[in-house]
Amino acid sequence: MTIGINAFLFLSVALFAIGFFGVLLRKNTLVIYMCLELMLVATTLALVAFSRFNGTLDGNVFVFFILTVAAAEVAVGLAIIVALFRRRQTVMVDELNALKN
Amino acid sequence: MTPVQLSLLLLFLPVVSAALTAFFFRRSPAIGRALSVGTAAILAVLGSVVIFGTEPFTAKLEWLTIGPLTIELGLLVDPLSKLMLAVVVFIGFLIHVFSIGYMKGDPHAARFFGCLSMFMFSMIGLTLADDLIMLFIFWELVGLSSYLLINFYYDRPAAVEASKKAFIVNRIGDFGFLLGIILAYWTFGSITLGAISAKIAETPSLVATSVGLLIFCGAVGKSGQMPLHVWLPDAMEGPTPVSALIHAATMVAAGIFLLCRIGVVMTGDALTVILWVGVTTALFAGVTALGQRDIKRILAYSTISQLGFMVAAFALGSLLALQSGADRALAGISGGAAAAMFHLTTHAFFKALLFLASGSVIHACHHEQDIYRLGGLAGRMKITFATFTIGTLALVGAPFLSGFYSKDAILVLAYRYDPLVFGLLLVAAWLTAFYMTRLWSVAFLGAPRTDHAAHAHENGPSMTIPLILLAVGAALSGYGWFYPEALAVIPHQAHALITGEAAKPAALAGVAVFVTGAGLGFLLYRPGSVKDFLQTRLPVVYNILENRLYIDALYDWYVAKVQQRFAMLVNFIEQIFLSGLIIRGLAGVVGLIGIGTRALHVGSLHVYVYWFLLGVALFWGFAAGVF
Amino acid sequence: MADILFYLFAAITLSTALFVVVSRNAVNSAMFFLLSLMGTAALFVLLDAYLLAVLLVLVYAGAVVALFLFIIMLLDMRGGERKPFKRTTLVAGTFAAILLGLGVLSFVQHSQLSSAAVSADVPALGASLKGYAAQLFTTYLLPVQVVGFLLLIAMLGVIVLSKRFEGLEDVK
Repeated sequence: MTIGINAFLFLSVALFAIGFFGVLLRKNTLVIYMCLELMLVATTLALVAFSRFNGTLDGNVFVFFILTVAAAEVAVGLAIIVALFRRRQTVMVDELNALKN
Repeated sequence: MTPVQLSLLLLFLPVVSAALTAFFFRRSPAIGRALSVGTAAILAVLGSVVIFGTEPFTAKLEWLTIGPLTIELGLLVDPLSKLMLAVVVFIGFLIHVFSIGYMKGDPHAARFFGCLSMFMFSMIGLTLADDLIMLFIFWELVGLSSYLLINFYYDRPAAVEASKKAFIVNRIGDFGFLLGIILAYWTFGSITLGAISAKIAETPSLVATSVGLLIFCGAVGKSGQMPLHVWLPDAMEGPTPVSALIHAATMVAAGIFLLCRIGVVMTGDALTVILWVGVTTALFAGVTALGQRDIKRILAYSTISQLGFMVAAFALGSLLALQSGADRALAGISGGAAAAMFHLTTHAFFKALLFLASGSVIHACHHEQDIYRLGGLAGRMKITFATFTIGTLALVGAPFLSGFYSKDAILVLAYRYDPLVFGLLLVAAWLTAFYMTRLWSVAFLGAPRTDHAAHAHENGPSMTIPLILLAVGAALSGYGWFYPEALAVIPHQAHALITGEAAKPAALAGVAVFVTGAGLGFLLYRPGSVKDFLQTRLPVVYNILENRLYIDALYDWYVAKVQQRFAMLVNFIEQIFLSGLIIRGLAGVVGLIGIGTRALHVGSLHVYVYWFLLGVALFWGFAAGVF
Repeated sequence: MADILFYLFAAITLSTALFVVVSRNAVNSAMFFLLSLMGTAALFVLLDAYLLAVLLVLVYAGAVVALFLFIIMLLDMRGGERKPFKRTTLVAGTFAAILLGLGVLSFVQHSQLSSAAVSADVPALGASLKGYAAQLFTTYLLPVQVVGFLLLIAMLGVIVLSKRFEGLEDVK
């Protein structure tokens, strides 16, 4: 194929920006979390692209670990959100403002 | 016991008495009285031992070392301090005894006696001090005791005002004194009297004059010279024993004592200034006394006038010594100091007597103090009348009484120095005879003018015996043989003046002044006269005199208009800038920072993410080399 | 051929990602997320990282998204209810995202990577499983162990967090 690395990087950055946009925009904690994962996926894409275009395996192995850690993180994060929901009966971010002032 | 131990015991016993009274016996007048009078008796005994039983000595104790300055506290017992000590201790004891009767029935008597003990401590410390710092400390303590005693009747606003006035006016003098001490230290490198007298020969004249005049400021304040005399008449608000002890015999004499001590630094120019201050004071105080009606105020102005005499005497003697070429270092110990201290001693006797007698009168007439509401007391209070007469005669210089000899010594010095000064001092002496005769005849002779006077009767022995003893002293203290060996140095020097050159003219002038002054006074202020002669004939003059030559009014105006406004201006600046801008401003800035950072805690996740973005942007800026 | 596939899957990924952000329903967001992951997996395949593509589908799409859906259902969310976005939020968010994107892109620009296609003599090491295994068990052995530990801790943490704590006052 004739696609150079720049295209992949551009794609990765765009995905990252969309994920960031989602974090800033949404009020539902779960959706925010999903956008966070989106950002993570974007970085994995960039890593694999670099790894491919440099001819090494390091990027790929790093993505391997990212996947693992992301899974663990999601598990724990969701457990926290569930505990929070049990407390406050809501997951909307603008209602979770006990630290205000 | 060594002399040093004796002196220290003498010094600290009264303060122990005062402390005991202050802490434990405030509510028991009897115990306080017993403690204080007992202490005074012991002081008299100890004082006698120190005076008669010890040779002159000095002792030193190193107190404070700050860098090159070493402040030593020391005791100096020499003929001068022995004489002063004798006056303080003996007359003090007699006044303590008098106070027993005078303060009978007063519920606050314990406080009175405690303060009296405090005063004895301060005065003895002042007398025995060897260096200027210790003297200054006790100088201030004496001022404090005076303040405490003047406003003894603290529920009287006049007394409170008078005590404040006394303290503040004294402070003004003390400020000059302190400057003098600092200058002395700077010039001589030491504040011990011995060291100063050793170095005096090589100091330049201007510096020595300044030192002398600045230290004289202290004497101006404490001894009521013009212009700082305004506190003494007001200080009569205190009980009469206080007036007798502090404001007649001892504290006001402390200024004279200081001058005699520090006489070595005086140059001719300083002495001239001192001379004219003394003469002016003697004159103007004498004139003002003519316009007063309160018996104690008349005596207060008389005290101021006599202090002027003493100051003038000191200056005259020292000037004469300088003129005759004596070494400057010796000028102070010679005739000037002798005449001044001699007059101080006789004055202590007869002025204390006069005050105590007037206290006896006041006590008997239910605190009536206006002489034009008294009268006819000669028959009713015989002992008081007799002793008062002796005191008056001594004060005006009747021949063969003590005042005649001491005043004669001063007149001799004046005659030898300058005819103008001699003439002015004669006028002052004439005025003394004039107003004292007025007081004596109006208050004691003739018919009683009010009921209180009509029902007066003599007081008990606790009040009359001190009067008698003081009268003996007033009569005889002019003679050289009255003084024991240890105290005789100064009186003999003074007597040498009286019998030396120019003695005759001065003595004759003194007698003439006494006769004419007393005679005219008796004529014009007849016994039994209801209206004051001067008031009826020359009301304008009388008004000026009654208002004390408007000097007090001038001070009041100055304090109210000038000083108060300045104080308010400074207060305003302090409120706005110091308290407001700087202190509260700094606190306010910190508070603002707190509010600012608190505002960042919005509680919204999204805001925090924006902050993250800001951080990332900053990092990007750094990395991209933007800043 | 590969180029067309690239553009196709890139478009899928980006558009579904956008829909994740924008859709009203949380379940819809999850679904779109899933599709986005599919697109990414395809891109991985295009990059010759076959193992990673499969792992992405299995782990991410399979376990993580499923977990998300479980929790969304668990929290009893009312479906279509969502207040419309505020204007300021949209503008600010867009601006912020563009800023971030531009920032990262500027780094890329700065590094001046060649935009040529991958040359033929660069081996596609990720294509073979053997290579992975060799790396994982030799060079990256320590991280493997650490990650294992991490998974254990995460499991324990989730168990602790899921307990019900009685008797604590609500924090308001």
